[in-house]
Amino acid sequence: MENIASLMHGFGVALTMHHVLLMMLGVLLGILVGVLPGLGAPNGVTLLMPLTFSMDPISAIILLTSMYWGALFGGSTTSILFNIPGEPSSVATTFDGHPMAKQGRATEALTYAFLSAGFGALVGVVLITVLSSWVAKFALRFSSPEFFAVYFLAFASFIGLGGSSPFKTVISIMLGFAFTAVGMDTVSGSLRLTYGIDELIRGISFLVAVIGLFGIGELLLTMEEGLRFDGVKARVSPRKVFATLLTLPRYWLTLLRSAAIGCWMGITPGGPTAASFMSYGLAKRFARRRDGFGKGREEGVIAPETADHAAGSSAILPMLALGIPGSATAAVMMGGLMIWGLTPGPMLFIEQKDFVWGLIASMYLGNVVAVVLVLATVPLFAAILRVPFAIIGPVILVICVSGAYTVAGASFDLWLVLIFGVVGYVFKKLDYPIAPMVLAMVLGDKAEDAFRQSAIMSGGDLSIFWSNGLVATIMALGVLLLVWPLLSLIVQRLRPSRDVGATTA
Amino acid sequence: MSTNERSLVSRFAMEVATGCATLAAGVVVVLGALEYEIGWDEGGPQPGYFPFYVGLIIIAASLGVLGQAFLNHRRSREAFITREGFARVMAFFLPLAAFTVGSYVLGLYVGTFVYLAGVMIFQGGYRWPFALAVAGGITGFFFVLFERWFQVPLLKGPLETLFGIY
Repeated sequence: MENIASLMHGFGVALTMHHVLLMMLGVLLGILVGVLPGLGAPNGVTLLMPLTFSMDPISAIILLTSMYWGALFGGSTTSILFNIPGEPSSVATTFDGHPMAKQGRATEALTYAFLSAGFGALVGVVLITVLSSWVAKFALRFSSPEFFAVYFLAFASFIGLGGSSPFKTVISIMLGFAFTAVGMDTVSGSLRLTYGIDELIRGISFLVAVIGLFGIGELLLTMEEGLRFDGVKARVSPRKVFATLLTLPRYWLTLLRSAAIGCWMGITPGGPTAASFMSYGLAKRFARRRDGFGKGREEGVIAPETADHAAGSSAILPMLALGIPGSATAAVMMGGLMIWGLTPGPMLFIEQKDFVWGLIASMYLGNVVAVVLVLATVPLFAAILRVPFAIIGPVILVICVSGAYTVAGASFDLWLVLIFGVVGYVFKKLDYPIAPMVLAMVLGDKAEDAFRQSAIMSGGDLSIFWSNGLVATIMALGVLLLVWPLLSLIVQRLRPSRDVGATTA
Repeated sequence: MSTNERSLVSRFAMEVATGCATLAAGVVVVLGALEYEIGWDEGGPQPGYFPFYVGLIIIAASLGVLGQAFLNHRRSREAFITREGFARVMAFFLPLAAFTVGSYVLGLYVGTFVYLAGVMIFQGGYRWPFALAVAGGITGFFFVLFERWFQVPLLKGPLETLFGIY
């Protein structure tokens, strides 16, 4: 019940005119970046980040998280109306959302999408409210070896649970670590990996990398596919929205299952994209009638949307309580926290009560604001997409490049963003995962510090990572996830041979 | 991939090229780390320790990717990019590269204006008065947005200095 009291205090912090206005601004900007191809939640938040350096942390985080919600919602709008996912995490929404829109049921599809998304997000926030201080209290027992073990677990889970080749995931993570090592070493003060280039002394900013990898890389992909907007006209009538709302409880099982999947994938660094696909797949498998999926089934919209948003919001929990973000966007926000002078992790709950609970309270409000605003502005944002791409594409690009410059005011970053753009494009085409690289760039220094401090504590003896039950358990889990691809390969090899044996016998 | 779209670069070639590129990156990281001590002293791992092993892991994983490329992609005819796709990407990328170089020299505002107007006229097929007006309007909006509202100055070039806008 202590949490409820803290939450009420948080509402006191968040519910000022200034903050509610920031929330609305954030949501609208978020919908805009969600709707525009090439601009998504991670680099939308990144582009806004330099503008928040002068704000107080609470206002800044409210603006950025609201933008995050908005972007998640905006991505679904384009999925349904244009069959173009504005966000990777809303790809699964196109499967049934766009067919529904084509059948003249656009309002229904949008309403289902937004309401189930809102439901998913709320479940995620409730989870954060209930669990956060408990997780933080638990994490207070952590010292350097435990923190290193948790970082290790986070990266191992990318390797073990990610869909792509484990080698590619390892390369992505390790390149991220190498980029953070560039520049001044925080412990010894030596200038590492600068190769005599003065501009590299500052290091490589993860913000510039995100803009290049996600923004420019995504735009290049979009261009290659030859973008066509064949939208379905949408007018959202309040009566139809209300009628759809009344039918939503019928899908309670899908809603709950998808929310659970989303929360799990958000807390473990599976992320919203994986969550929405998994949820769609499970909805299909468990459906009483399997026909109609891919042709406009309601569950096909509800399942991925709920999971997407549940994952998006619950990704904030490990970021706040442990200092480990559950998604690329959360990673960017965590980087922001550190720039504003806050240290994410359990101490945040003790030292910055206003900030933490203000943020959690703003997540309740922000999502309600987002559902209302996104429903109200569907026609407006659909109209933006009718602006010819010969104008909007270059404008998005200019925003990306200018945004990269504002990070540090360094013209060298113009080159960096271009290089990261090409890398992002090639990596995406070859199925190298990009989120782990961003996570590594944000966590790199902290992970290295934790490792070095542990080594100092033990006098260079690596057995410190097995020295007590807690750290040993986390490390063991990490190692298990690390060898998971290998294990599943062995199981796969064994199984067919057994089948062959069975048929011959 | 349908067969009537002509493949320019195969997936296999690109997998190998990227594997070699990350391998080279790993070597560069290891060499950079070797400028410092990579062992241990009483203060724990020395500055080069972490990057050294990061580089080694990149090299090892790149070899893994190369191995997988030969196992999985060698026989497949899968295309990395088709001629048509490459043409579309270049039509976007080359102006972008020109924009970056131009902005580096002339400042971001002049770069933005020239880039937007150029793309609209030469690729969008708009008439030049319209293109100039739109490009000018957007550039002006960005100027007000960044310089006045957000107070984050963007890169300026010789033209701004000439007019004394600083």
